[in-house]
Amino acid sequence: MNLSWIFGSSMEAHHLLWAYLSVWLIQGGYCAWIAWQWMHTPKSSAADDPTVSANPED
Amino acid sequence: MQRSRILGPVGVVWFLLTIGVIAYATRLALLIAPTEATMGNVQRIFYYHVPTSMLSLLFPYVNFAASLCYLYWRRRDPLKALTADAWAITSAEVTVVYASICLWTGMLWGRAAWGIWWTWDARLTSMLLLWLLYVSYLMLRKLSSTGQTHTLAAVLSVFAAIDVPIVYMSIQWWRTQHPAPVFGGGPDSGLDKSMYPAFIFNIVGWAMWGILLLCFRYALERRRQAREQDAALKAIEASLELAK
Repeated sequence: MNLSWIFGSSMEAHHLLWAYLSVWLIQGGYCAWIAWQWMHTPKSSAADDPTVSANPED
Repeated sequence: MQRSRILGPVGVVWFLLTIGVIAYATRLALLIAPTEATMGNVQRIFYYHVPTSMLSLLFPYVNFAASLCYLYWRRRDPLKALTADAWAITSAEVTVVYASICLWTGMLWGRAAWGIWWTWDARLTSMLLLWLLYVSYLMLRKLSSTGQTHTLAAVLSVFAAIDVPIVYMSIQWWRTQHPAPVFGGGPDSGLDKSMYPAFIFNIVGWAMWGILLLCFRYALERRRQAREQDAALKAIEASLELAK
């Protein structure tokens, strides 16, 4: 069986193609958004140095 | 530091494994599984629609458990409460992603199979309500600026979780437009044996992907929390300097 039917002009072919493409787009888009946020959120200084205390009195 | 050194490579291996399973599952769904007799090829939407729908009813329970933990720990142990809160927002976002896919692929299937995009059927309406509840949860967290935002969101999450069993049982309690349950829906329910591999690989693949998203988003939230604590600490130090 080949995939040529999925690129046909029938409604079922369009809807099947859209269903699969949109799932990849939504999931991939969300994952890419997390990755982008991850790269633009610098690590805290406390995370680099575990000896830093949260208590300024220490 | 040690833990992050190990988690990085584990995450990459998990990601590659997940992509492999989803690619194989998609191949099974589109090329190997037989064409369904009455609906034809459009039935192949089922292999994405049903696994994501099932998973969209599991992630709200992570949110529910995390919110209960947050409510319990918020005064007793604020550090544990922060961890629970990170899991809560993470699982709410993943729920919205999976529920959106469930609704959208269901509409595409419905238009081709029933001739309509939408109907106010019990399953569709309760699922839309679930989606709206988790979108409102995220909006509340994003837009509210009171000091009680996290507590209010946790309470909303407890109410939102009540909708999950209603969505699950809706097709048994009210027989309307949506098809009966594929599994455990009576003598005529079930899948043909030749369709099981595509279904099982898709549910495993999308579950692995969901776990990956949960862990990655959780790590991001923890990093944000650490940044916020840093900023608060610097503000306290600055005010102490001024007071001297």
